[in-house]
Amino acid sequence: MIEAIPHTLSTQGWWIVSRSSAMVAFVLVTASVFLGLTMAAKPLRDPQFTKMMRALHEQTALAALVAIGIHVVAVLADPWLKPGVAGVAIPFVLGLNRFWNGIGVIAAYLAFLLGLSFYLRRHIGAKRWRTAHRATIVVYVLGLFHALGAGTDTGSLPFLVFAAVTAVPIAVLFVYRLGASRRAGERRQRAVRERHRTSARGTLLENS
Amino acid sequence: MTTPRPRAVVIGSLSLFVVLFVVLTFELSASASTSAGKSQATRKARPATTETKTDATEPEEAASEYAEPEEGSGEYAEPEAEYTEPEAEVEYVEPEVEEVPPVVTSSS
Repeated sequence: MIEAIPHTLSTQGWWIVSRSSAMVAFVLVTASVFLGLTMAAKPLRDPQFTKMMRALHEQTALAALVAIGIHVVAVLADPWLKPGVAGVAIPFVLGLNRFWNGIGVIAAYLAFLLGLSFYLRRHIGAKRWRTAHRATIVVYVLGLFHALGAGTDTGSLPFLVFAAVTAVPIAVLFVYRLGASRRAGERRQRAVRERHRTSARGTLLENS
Repeated sequence: MTTPRPRAVVIGSLSLFVVLFVVLTFELSASASTSAGKSQATRKARPATTETKTDATEPEEAASEYAEPEEGSGEYAEPEAEYTEPEAEVEYVEPEVEEVPPVVTSSS
């Protein structure tokens, strides 16, 4: 078996790199999304805890971007697949598993756009950035479907267990976040209405 | 609680990558060495996995891709029809035989 390793690496090396980096990227994206949603749920008010979570969230997101980059380069260099720059850069151009690889390309673009927008939030505006950042869940969902549809190792038990175990808490946290943001919106509207009412009362008293 | 260093995430990701790389390399090498021909096995390993992948995800596309060789086999039917022409050559022999009696009559 050891004698076959050099031959395997020379013929299938890029494929192995693309598979390994894809799995690392998926683990990191999952971790980053999980940490982000946990932060938004605010389980602890401790500033140290929030600081630690924020640092981990940022680091896993950046590492995920590096892993996605390696995955793209490895796919591009794969001599068997030969996707070409267009196959890697334009969604739904690559012939093999066209749909699933297409959503993978979209997920990669979104990951880079939404991930790196964190460093441009002063130019974008904090409120606008926060709204856009909420769409990061789409990267995770598209990445999961890309992995399930086009991944070579998605039939393996470790991957399926990991995907199932992490998808459930992410879904629960996401639903909780949606509810929390709706409640916060209602609270804001109530406060605005209250302010209007008090100002109207004030003007009535002044007129009388 | 202390703020985690980026090094921890980098080392963790790299370790996972190396482990996966080694496992996948050994897995493919093992499948290649157990087969009869090493080159044949490694060549077969890739299409085999992708075929199962396409079958599981997009059976329609896979079916359309396989339909192309069928069209090609239809084109091969044409040369078969051309093979009937030599049979006509046999028919050409018959007139030659028919032409002989007039020659005989002229000599007599």
